[in-house]
Amino acid sequence: MSRSALILTRLALLAMVLAAWEWLPRWAIVNAALLPPLSDVLAMFVTILGRSQVQEAVAVTAGEVVLAFMFAVPIGACVGVLVAESEYFGQIFRPMLFYVFSIPKSIFLPMFILVFGIGFAQKVAYAAFSTVFIVIMSAAAAVGSVKADHVLVARSYGATRAQVLTRVYVPSMLPFLLETLRISMIFNLTGVMIAEMYASRSGIGQLIASWGENFQMPQLFAGVMLLAAAAIAFNETVRWLEARCSTWRT
Amino acid sequence: MQHVANLSELRAKEVHAAAIEVAELSHVYLGRDGKVPALEDISLTVGAGRFVVIVGPSGCGKTSLLMMMAGLRRPTSGTILCAGRPIDVPDPDRVGVVFQEASLFPWLTALENIEFPLSIRHAPRLERRRRAEAMLNLVGLAGFGARYPHELSGGMKQRVSIARGLVQDPPVLLMDEPFAALDEQTRMTMGHELLRIWSQTNKTVVFVTHSLTEAVYLADEVLVMSPRPGRIIDRAEVTLPRPRTYEMMATDVFGRLRERIWQKIRKVT
Repeated sequence: MSRSALILTRLALLAMVLAAWEWLPRWAIVNAALLPPLSDVLAMFVTILGRSQVQEAVAVTAGEVVLAFMFAVPIGACVGVLVAESEYFGQIFRPMLFYVFSIPKSIFLPMFILVFGIGFAQKVAYAAFSTVFIVIMSAAAAVGSVKADHVLVARSYGATRAQVLTRVYVPSMLPFLLETLRISMIFNLTGVMIAEMYASRSGIGQLIASWGENFQMPQLFAGVMLLAAAAIAFNETVRWLEARCSTWRT
Repeated sequence: MQHVANLSELRAKEVHAAAIEVAELSHVYLGRDGKVPALEDISLTVGAGRFVVIVGPSGCGKTSLLMMMAGLRRPTSGTILCAGRPIDVPDPDRVGVVFQEASLFPWLTALENIEFPLSIRHAPRLERRRRAEAMLNLVGLAGFGARYPHELSGGMKQRVSIARGLVQDPPVLLMDEPFAALDEQTRMTMGHELLRIWSQTNKTVVFVTHSLTEAVYLADEVLVMSPRPGRIIDRAEVTLPRPRTYEMMATDVFGRLRERIWQKIRKVT
C-alpha cells in the first residue's frame, strides 16, 4: 500500500468512528445521556477550557505530573544503570526490585494517603513511586545495548571512566532511554490520575471523577478528550525524537 | 651534564630500535575448574618498522596477547616494553589499535569516528578535522567522511578503523583480525592496501589472524602460537621481496612457508 493510500485509509477510519459518535446518539440508536454526540462534547470542551476551575485543575495536575516525572526518571535511570553495571548492587537489589515491580502499585495508595494526606505531595509521591520501577527496569535493559567492543575501543584510546560513560554509554543507550521516557510517562500519568480520582480536592482527575459521579457526560467526555490529547502529544513528540536519534540503528 | 643527557638519549634511541619487547610473559585466568594457563613464557621482540603477524588456532591467546600489548589487559607475570617503556595502561601516543569488524561507533560519521581518539584528548576542532581528513585520504576514502558506518561496506568500515588507529600517529599499530569478517576478495584487497599504508607511514605493525595466506602475504616475520597454554612454537622469517604482489602467492617460497606453518599448527590442534 502506498503511503498516501495508507494515510487516506486511516483518515477514513477516523472519520467513520467520529461520524458514528455524532450520529448514533442523534438517531437514538445509543442513549444520548450515556454517549452525548461529538458536537456537544466538542462544544463542552471549549466551554470547560474557559472555566477558571478547570484551568486551575489542569495547572495542579500538570505540576504533579512534571514533578513526579522529575523524581522518578533520574532516580530510576541511575538505579537501573547501577544495578545493571555493578555486579554487587545487581545481586543485592535485583530480586527485590523484580518483586516490587510485579505488584500493582494502586494497592499502596491508602498507605500514601495515610503518610502524605490527599494533597499535592501525595499525588507526586504516589506517581513517582508507581513510575520509578518501570524506569529502573528499562534503564537496566538499556545498559545491555552498550557493546563491550565499543567500550574497549574507547579505553584503548585513553578514555577515562567519565568519558566512556558520556561518549559510549549515553549515545548507545539514548534511543532506549527515550523509549523509557515515553513508557514511563504512561505510568506516571496513570499514577497521578488514579491518585486524583481516588481521593483529592483538586486536579483534572478529581474533576473527571466528580463529573462521572454526577452523570455530567459531556463534561466527562470533554475531560477525557483533554487528557488524551495531552498524553498523545507527549508520546508522539518523544517518538519523533526517538526516530531522529536512532537513524543509525539499522 | 650535557654529555650524560646525550648518552641517555642515545640509549633511548638504541632501545627504540625494538618497538615492542615482550619478556617471559605468562597469563593465568580463573576458570570454572580453577586456574587455567592462557599464555606461557612468551618472549618476543618486534623491531621498529617491522610487520609481524601472529597466527594460531582459536583459543591460543593471540588476541589476549595483543590486548596486553595495547595495555588493555594485565598479564599475570612478565613485562611488555613499548618504545623502551613499560605499557600497563592504554597509551594512544605509543600504540594504536584496530579491532575486528563493527568496532566503529554507529552513531558517529566516518570522519567523527576517525576524530574520536583526538576528541578524547580535547584536541582543537580544526586540528582534529584536518588530521582526520588526511587519514581519510590516506586510506582511500576521500569524500566518504559524512557517511555513517551502516552506509559503508565491510571493507570501507575497516579502512575507517585503520584511519582511526593511525590518527594520533602512534609508532605502533596493533591489529586484531581486522579483516576476518570480510569476503575473500575484499580481504586480499584490504591486505594489499594495508601494506601500501604501512609502507607510506613507516609504522610497526603487529597483526593477529588465523589465515595463513594472509599471514605470509603480509608479514616480515610470522609467529606461530599453540593453544592451551598459548606459546610461541615457531618463528618464520618471510624472505619474499617488497612490495608484495598477488603473483607471489603462487611461488614456491610462498607455498613452502605456508606449508611449514600449517604443519606446526596441525601438530598442536
